Amino acid sequence: MSDRAPAGTADLSPSSRLRGDRRGRPEWLGTAALAAVAAAVILVAVAATPNFLTVDNVRAILRNAAVVGIVAVGMTPITLSGNFVSLAISQSAMAAMVTFVALIGLGWPQPVAILAVATLLTAIGALQGLVVAAGLNPVITTLAAGAIIFGVVSQLTGGGIVRMGENRAEWGGSDIAGMPIEVLVFLAFTVAVTLLMARTVIGRETTLVGANRATAEISGISHARVTIVTFVIFSIGVAIAGILSGAAFGQATAVSFRDLTVDAIAAVLVGGSAIQGGRGSPLRSAGGAVLISIISNMMVLNNFSTGGRLAVQGGVVVAVVALLEALRRRGGARS
Amino acid sequence: MSGRLERMRSYLLPIALLAITWLLISLLTPSFRGEASVFSVLQGFPLVGLVALGLAVTLIAGEFDLSVGSMAALAAVIAVTASPAGLIGCILVATAAGAVIGAVQGTLIARLRINSLVFTIGTLILIRGVTHMLTGSAPIMIDNIEITDPLLLRFGVFSWSSVVALAVFVVMGLFLAYTRWGREIYAIGGARNEAIAAGVPRVRPLAVSFAVSAGCASLAGALAATRGGSAAPQNYEDLLLTGAAAALLGGISLYGGRGTVLNVALGVAILSVVGAGLAARGTSASLVQLVTGALLLTVIGLEFGLARLARPAATGARARRAAGVGV
Repeated sequence: MSDRAPAGTADLSPSSRLRGDRRGRPEWLGTAALAAVAAAVILVAVAATPNFLTVDNVRAILRNAAVVGIVAVGMTPITLSGNFVSLAISQSAMAAMVTFVALIGLGWPQPVAILAVATLLTAIGALQGLVVAAGLNPVITTLAAGAIIFGVVSQLTGGGIVRMGENRAEWGGSDIAGMPIEVLVFLAFTVAVTLLMARTVIGRETTLVGANRATAEISGISHARVTIVTFVIFSIGVAIAGILSGAAFGQATAVSFRDLTVDAIAAVLVGGSAIQGGRGSPLRSAGGAVLISIISNMMVLNNFSTGGRLAVQGGVVVAVVALLEALRRRGGARS
Repeated sequence: MSGRLERMRSYLLPIALLAITWLLISLLTPSFRGEASVFSVLQGFPLVGLVALGLAVTLIAGEFDLSVGSMAALAAVIAVTASPAGLIGCILVATAAGAVIGAVQGTLIARLRINSLVFTIGTLILIRGVTHMLTGSAPIMIDNIEITDPLLLRFGVFSWSSVVALAVFVVMGLFLAYTRWGREIYAIGGARNEAIAAGVPRVRPLAVSFAVSAGCASLAGALAATRGGSAAPQNYEDLLLTGAAAALLGGISLYGGRGTVLNVALGVAILSVVGAGLAARGTSASLVQLVTGALLLTVIGLEFGLARLARPAATGARARRAAGVGV
C-alpha cells in the first residue's frame, strides 16, 4: 500500500515528502505571529472584562490550561516527528485517570500507583508507536487504539463511576506556594520536554525525521526509534494529566476527558507547530493551550454560551492555521 | 499489474471478511438470520454508510474530513428546525446546507493549500459550537412528529432510509466512475502533482469531494434526526470512527486515488453485521467500539503486511522515491 504512495500527494502519508519551499522562512516568524495574536487577545480581554486581571482569575486560567497543556506539550514530539497527532488522547487520559483512581481505591500506596499508571500508559503508547513505526498510518492507528482503550475500560468499569473511597490523594487539587499543583507540573513538564526536544540528540533526531524523513534515514537515524520514543513521551504526558485529574477529583468514569482530544490538538495547532512535522516546539503548544484558556475564560466572564465558546475556539484554530500557513509560504517564496 | 486485476483483489479481502463475520455472527446469535438480518444490515447504510461514503470520497482525493460527525449533528439540527417544510423539504434543506459548507471547506483547503486534517479539526470544533448555539445546548424535537411516519415503514428488507442511502451509493458510484469531475477526484488523489501538471484543476476536485463528504454526512444526520424525531447538539461524535473504519475495512486506500463505492458498501456491511449481531446479543455500545477498533487495526495491519510480503523491496523503493533518488 504505502509503497505506492507517490511523493507530493496524499497528505495522509506521514512525512514522506520534501518541503523545500519552507527553507527561507525565518524560524521566529511563527512564534512572532503567535505572540502578536496572544498580545491582541489579552489586550481585548483586559479591555472588555473588568475582572480579568485579578490573581484569582489568572490562577483559574492557568489551572484550566494545565491539563490540556500537559497533554499538548507531550504530544508535540509526535507532531514534530511527522506522525501528525494522536486521536486516542481522551481515551488514554481517561484510562490513566480510571486506573489511578481504582488503584488508590484498592489501597495501593500512591507512589506505586503512580508508577503503575505510568508503566501501563507507556506500554500502551509504545505499542501504538511500534505499530506506527511498522508503517501504519498514525491517525488511523490511534483512532482505532482509542476505540479499543475506551471499549476495554468501559467493559472493566461496567460504565460506572470508579471511586477512591477511603484512601484519598490529599495533594490532589492543592496549592504549592500559592500556585495550583497542576500548573506547577505543567510548567515543569513544558520545560523538560522543550529541553529534551531542543538540546538532546533524540530531540534533534525527532525534528529531522519530521522535517525530512528520507534524509534522516540516509543519515542513519532510525525512524522507528524516534516514533516509539515520541509515543512514549506522549504517554507520559497523558499519564500525568490523568493522575493529576484523578487526584483532584477522587473519582473517574469511562467518559472522563471527552473533549481532551480536540482541545489538545487545538492547542498544538494554535501553538503553530506544523502538522507535517519538523517545525514547532512544546513551548509553543503550551502557549497555545494558555491562549485558548484565556479566550474561553474571557468568554465565560462575558457570559458566552458553551456553543459560542466552541465556535470561537474552532474559529481561532482555523484562523491561526491559515495565517501561519500563508506566512510560511510567503517566507518560502521570498528566498 | 492491470487495474482490473488489482481492483478485483481489493474486493477479495472485504468479501472474505464479510462472509466470515456473517457466518460467525449468525452462528453465535440465533436471532440474526434471514430477512431480519438483511434488514438490520441494510439499516446500517443510512447513518454509518453515508458517512463512510463521504469519507471515502475525501480519502480517494488524498484528503481526510474529520468534521463529518459535527456536520451530521448540525444537519440533524437544521432538519429538525426546518421540519415545518415537510419531511422531504427539511431533509433536502439540511443536505444542501451541508454540501455548501463542505464545498466552501474544500475550496479553502485547496486554495490555502492547508493539510485537510488540520483544517477539518478546526471546523470540527467550529461546527460543533455553531450547533450548540443553534440549539442552546439542549436537544430539540420535531413539533409535527407525524410527518416522519413514512420513515418508520418497512418493505421486506428495505426502509425508506436504506433505499435513499443505497440510491446515493449508486449515484455516487456512477459519478465517480463515469463523469469528468469524478475521475478528477481519482487523479488528484492518486498523483496530485502529475494530475495538476496534466491539466486537472486543483480546486474543483477538492471542493467537490468535501461537498460530497459534508453532504453525505448531512443527509445521514438529517435522516437519523427525522427518523427519531429529535436532534441533540452533542450527537454523532463516534461517527468518525465507524465511518472511517467502514471505508477502510472495505478496502479504500489511505493513500489516495484508489477504491470504489463497492468497497465502501462492503465495509459498511461488515460493520453492520458486527453491530447488529452484537446488539442482538444485548452487548453495550462500548463493546461494539472495541470490536470496531480491533477489526480496523487488524485489517489495516493485514493489508499492510500482505503488501509488504508481495513486494519485499517496498521500503527501499519508497525511501528512494521519497529521497528523489532513482525511479
